[in-house]
Amino acid sequence: MGRISWCPGCGNFAILRAFEKASQRVIKEGYDIAISSGIGCHGKISDYLNLPSFHVIHGRVPPFLTGLKLANPNLIVVGFSGDGDGLNEGVEHFVHAARRNTDITIILHNNGVFGLTTGQVTATSPKGWKSKSTPYGNPEYPINACQLMLASGATFVARVFTGEQKRMAEIFYRAMKHKGFSFVEVLQPCMSFNNFWDLRKEVFWVEKAESVYEAMRKCEDARACGIFYTEEKETYEDVVWRSMF
Amino acid sequence: MNVCIAGAAGDGIRGAGVILGKIFCKLGYSVFVYQEYQSRIRGGHNASVVRASEREINSHGYYYDALICLRDYVFEKHVERLRGVLVCDSSFNLEHDRKVEFPITETVKKLNLPDISRNIAAISVFCKSFGIEAEVVESVIRESLGKAGERNLEVVRAVYENLDITVGQVRRVGERKELVSGAKAIAEGMLDAGLKFYYAYPMTPATPILHILAADNRCVALQPESEIAAIMMAIGSAFGGERAAVGTSGGGFALMSESISLAGMAEIPVLIILAQRSGPSTGMATFTAQQDLYFALNPAHGEFPLIVASPLTIEDSYRLAGELLNLSWKFQTPAILLTEKHITESYTTAKLGGVVKKEVEIFREKSSEIFKRYEITESGVSPYASPPALVKANSNEHDEYGFATDDAEIATEMYAKRMRKEEKIAKVVANLEPYIEIKNGKDWIVTWGSNFGAVKEVAEELGFSVAAVRFMRPLFLPKISGEVFCVECNYTGLLARLLEAEGLEVKRILRWDGRPFTPEEIRREVERWAE
Ligand SMILES: Cc1ncc(C[n+]2csc(CCOP(=O)(O)OP(=O)(O)O)c2C)c(N)n1
Ligand code: SF4
Ligand SMILES: [Mg+2]
Repeated sequence: MGRISWCPGCGNFAILRAFEKASQRVIKEGYDIAISSGIGCHGKISDYLNLPSFHVIHGRVPPFLTGLKLANPNLIVVGFSGDGDGLNEGVEHFVHAARRNTDITIILHNNGVFGLTTGQVTATSPKGWKSKSTPYGNPEYPINACQLMLASGATFVARVFTGEQKRMAEIFYRAMKHKGFSFVEVLQPCMSFNNFWDLRKEVFWVEKAESVYEAMRKCEDARACGIFYTEEKETYEDVVWRSMF
Repeated sequence: MNVCIAGAAGDGIRGAGVILGKIFCKLGYSVFVYQEYQSRIRGGHNASVVRASEREINSHGYYYDALICLRDYVFEKHVERLRGVLVCDSSFNLEHDRKVEFPITETVKKLNLPDISRNIAAISVFCKSFGIEAEVVESVIRESLGKAGERNLEVVRAVYENLDITVGQVRRVGERKELVSGAKAIAEGMLDAGLKFYYAYPMTPATPILHILAADNRCVALQPESEIAAIMMAIGSAFGGERAAVGTSGGGFALMSESISLAGMAEIPVLIILAQRSGPSTGMATFTAQQDLYFALNPAHGEFPLIVASPLTIEDSYRLAGELLNLSWKFQTPAILLTEKHITESYTTAKLGGVVKKEVEIFREKSSEIFKRYEITESGVSPYASPPALVKANSNEHDEYGFATDDAEIATEMYAKRMRKEEKIAKVVANLEPYIEIKNGKDWIVTWGSNFGAVKEVAEELGFSVAAVRFMRPLFLPKISGEVFCVECNYTGLLARLLEAEGLEVKRILRWDGRPFTPEEIRREVERWAE
């Protein structure tokens, strides 16, 4: 495997370990997994997992996975994206993949910052936050990724915190097993540019909601964690393949 | 014989052109249909020029032997080109010495048919007055419109029963031929070469390819959220081991740039159809051009092997689309079919066939060892693998296993490995007719793309030799001397500049008005140079 180049203490380690656990469980059940990642610190995870992988370009993980899943529907495909990667550069793909209910899983490494480019604001950075590119404070309001995905039609939406590896592994597992578009936001402190490790004291867990509207309210507080919503709905691949034959 | 059908958007001009084309095909003629239409759904001015000949042709003509007007106001735009008969509604007050009039609108109304049936009525008037049997017209309408067209047969009958003028005699000259559009030819070429996925965001003039493939269940054709998504999906499918292609025009091609570079770096085969239209920017969306040659040759950042070819005719677009998809997989690198509106949206008599899928080996087995996907080889081509094989691909520079690296030594070798493919590609392309030469005399007309049809005719008439470039990268320029003309649809002479770089002196024949060349116009330009 590639030699890990993340900073000591980086939340990416916990994501890596939790995903290893979850993927081993899935593979033991007889499934094949292929992964992809975007550009940023998170994207390096492709090199660190002993799985078929494609480290693609900035923001374009969901369409890549859509094409791969269509070509080989037997694969469980998982994408790793960053808040910059997936909510700045490539946000349209998130919306459309969720809308189609493409059977892919997206794990969003949300550290509230462009890590790899050394600390600028992203779409999830709080208003007023001073970063290298916003020395007078971030003038923009942050986006709530789970709400965006719920509104777009995702059929599995969850949020976890890197401080809780075990729960994270369980949720990754369930997300992969869910048939349809699964979205897991991981609150991941960046030791070098946005260390919110203390958040662990404030994180709280909520139960799954019965409706999208209830789920929207449940995930409104950015510290709320848990599986907010799941739904069984026909997947994009199933519809496309059925129309063919 | 060169016939123009003109009217407004919504009058069914395009369909009428195709039906008239098929009528000539049925009588054994070689046919070319040029469609000129505006970027609007109703009103304005559309025209369809249908040329039929006993010789093989690949262009329409400038002067019309007949003009069929479905609106009175379009007459003025075309009268300068009319050298024969005007066919129109008897209620139009148009001045012309040779006229065939018929109460077209009234007949359609009486039969309680929708307005659009006027196009069939007008064609029938033309056919009857040119001695074409009703059965020929009827059978083409039945084939083209199916059940939905049944009632149009009443219009044909009404015209044939009530019109008694003969102004010409179109004879049967041979066996029935097939009329195909460039879009259809490109689609068939890709399918014959094993296409399984086609992703496209609608953009004129590439859109008809999407429509054709969406209705064909030999492949999956989908419309994603953008051109970026389209090419990333294609890369995903190709990584999954299936042949995929995308199609667009200049603006959408620009959006694909970063992903084309990714395909070059990760050595993923993908075919991109770039159907040119008049630019820059939105330009004239429904008009033809050849402005994107250098863009296609340099589509993205970094250096990587790339194959670019431009078809000369509709039949050639079938062959090259298939050839490029095969080459892309053989060499694991992107390929671009650089074509034009005047190919994709025109129609001609063509026999499609001969393209076959050239299989490549794909390793797809699970294993505990990581697949050496980027093995350094002499040819530069490494073994291909798809998941569930343990295969790793990367947009970063990488080692033989696909792991990211910035090691100077590995980077030196890996970059060179990729680039070595260019030498191999050049060797293969050298045997694929990279350009066509037709020797008629010591002086030359050079061209590329759809101008070929018109150039070939003029050159034969005037005794010029023809050189037409098909492969643009790798580029092989014909060895020529004497007086050299270069015909292109752009402002600066993009191919002409490449010829000049070889030390040739080139006389440019250019246009950038969105209209394709006819033989008559090229002839006029050549003669003007002589003055
Ligand atoms: C098209 C493009 N624009 C910009 C970059 C530069 N870039 C590299 S990583 C990055 C930001 C990554 O932020 P995020 O996705 O949050 O990942 P993190 O490093 O925080 O994990 C940017 C802008 C790029 N690689 N590609
Ligand atoms: S910069 Fe931040 S996100 Fe990137 S590796 Fe270091 S700690 Fe992790
Ligand atoms: Mg980030």
